[in-house]
Amino acid sequence: MKIAAQEPAKSRRIRRSEAVILFTVANQLFAIAADSVQEIRSTDSLGAALEIEQQEIPKVRHTIERNHRTYFVVNACAHFGLRVVRPTLVLILRQIRVAVLVDKIERMTEIAAIHALPRAFIGAECQWYRGLAYVEDQVIPVVSPTGFLTANDFQRLDGAMAEAASHQSLEGAIQI
Amino acid sequence: MSGSDNTNAKSYVLVQIGDRRFAMSAATVSELAPPVRLHQFPQTSPLVAGVIVRRGRIVPVYDVSRILAGKNSPAHRFYLVASREFGSFSEASAIPVDGECELVTAPIQPSDASSPKYISGRLAIGEENIEVLDLNALVTSAPAEPNELGYAEPRG
Repeated sequence: MKIAAQEPAKSRRIRRSEAVILFTVANQLFAIAADSVQEIRSTDSLGAALEIEQQEIPKVRHTIERNHRTYFVVNACAHFGLRVVRPTLVLILRQIRVAVLVDKIERMTEIAAIHALPRAFIGAECQWYRGLAYVEDQVIPVVSPTGFLTANDFQRLDGAMAEAASHQSLEGAIQI
Repeated sequence: MSGSDNTNAKSYVLVQIGDRRFAMSAATVSELAPPVRLHQFPQTSPLVAGVIVRRGRIVPVYDVSRILAGKNSPAHRFYLVASREFGSFSEASAIPVDGECELVTAPIQPSDASSPKYISGRLAIGEENIEVLDLNALVTSAPAEPNELGYAEPRG
């Protein structure tokens, strides 16, 4: 039954076509801009990941070193509030010091447009996602690379690392 | 259709939600959509169950049955698509409803003083008193709580 012929404004589209990587976290499908990912590695190859001692941001437990930069490893399950499963891959992001633990890469694809999140969404997802995309009759959130950690999170994590480093040097001095 | 001689009579869409019927102003309603696929993804907005795609648009779905019927809506229901106002911007929004809708014309009566804010009045249809829903007030009246998929509230 079509009751009225009101045609509200079209969904707000943000950009033209874009290459994205489709990945899954706890069986949920997400997309991320391909050009925001620097490297994809197996978690098995991250033997050199260091544990970071801090309780404030539970989704970050480790750091990794790549090209003389320290990346904070974000567990995507914890970030999105999903059931925690054992991740097998890590997406090392470009531009920002974040690496993201995910379950599986589905494939790369091209999306025609990114639709802005409807205004009904008012929660943390407004930071998590750049918008929504249609991929083969499925609506998939397009994650924002800058949404994994805030500037405040980086500050706190850097502080925790600096504190840990100063403790280590102090312990070293006492042993000497 | 129910008729009325009252000049204040306006058109309303009657919807079934749980065991009760409610009315919504027909001026805000655009269509009754079939039980299309509800797309869900992690999010923390109260009441938002996911999105549906209608006429090439992404339409958020508010599971108002939690407020109106005290339970989550069962799967495979119809969706009533209506416009929700955000200041000068209007957004198509959907609520799951049970079964068919009915279009009536009737004068609106004031709501009881004890009624929730999302009840903007009531219609006397036959012997039935049907509460008129204010969609905007309804979807903003929800307390913050995990949504249908069980995602938690915003994390830091």
